[in-house]
Amino acid sequence: MSSQVVDHSALKVNQTGIVVTVLVAFIGSAFYKPLLVLIPLLAIVLLVGTFAPQLALFKQFYFKVLKPRGIVKPRPVQDRPEPHNFAQGLGGVFLAVASVFLLPLPVVGLALALLVAVLAFVNLAFGYCLGCQIYFQLGKRGLIRASS
Amino acid sequence: MSTQLWALAVAGTVVLAAACLEALRSRRARRLTVGAVAAPASDPYILYFTGDGCTVCRTHQEPALAKLGAVRIDKVDAISDRTLADRFNVYTLPTTVVMSAAGQALHVNYGYATAPKLERQLAEARGARMQAATA
Repeated sequence: MSSQVVDHSALKVNQTGIVVTVLVAFIGSAFYKPLLVLIPLLAIVLLVGTFAPQLALFKQFYFKVLKPRGIVKPRPVQDRPEPHNFAQGLGGVFLAVASVFLLPLPVVGLALALLVAVLAFVNLAFGYCLGCQIYFQLGKRGLIRASS
Repeated sequence: MSTQLWALAVAGTVVLAAACLEALRSRRARRLTVGAVAAPASDPYILYFTGDGCTVCRTHQEPALAKLGAVRIDKVDAISDRTLADRFNVYTLPTTVVMSAAGQALHVNYGYATAPKLERQLAEARGARMQAATA
């Protein structure tokens, strides 16, 4: 087992960032449409953060600001980072698809973005990570090199 | 504003459909596995499906199982024991199955199951056993 230590507070901050950004875009766009731009921006943040963790905006905010100042306490857990990164990337992909739909079919785009926020909230509140489960399923079927 | 309401309705429908699917899956697994699986035990017990990559198993499920006290818990690695995992349609970890003393699956919980929920299901399993014994 290739377990490492993952700071789950960083994951929680990331999920909070996703939920808040989508909610601001969703509610705010009712009054000020340009706020919809937050959704493609969030997609970029998540996708970039998946491939270059040092550029993951919310996690870096946690590591550089929240953690050093004691605002959020670290919660290191023996864990593998891959499923969480996969889940983040999946969220990014869905938000990218949502962004494509935002102009021609805003209902579809917003609904997809909302679903990503709902899943991030479920992970934040109940610890259920759908992306991690998909990762587990793909690993079980030998489609990716998941948990051995 | 109506765009937002429609989007909310669409997302809500998807979430509701997922919840229904989850309930259906659980019922189907229960029906499929009745009478299957294990040797009779003296008391109801729990099959606990887990895996190396399952964090929630360690951070949530195992502390909840520890709260149950003296209950037999059979830990199953869902990756290495795929036959058993497939029999219960395990598609997510953790999955807990409350088994009757006779080896029947009574409740299948996909995802994290709280200690009170498992206690309730075990109490039901014990109650059903008492009823069967007195009948």
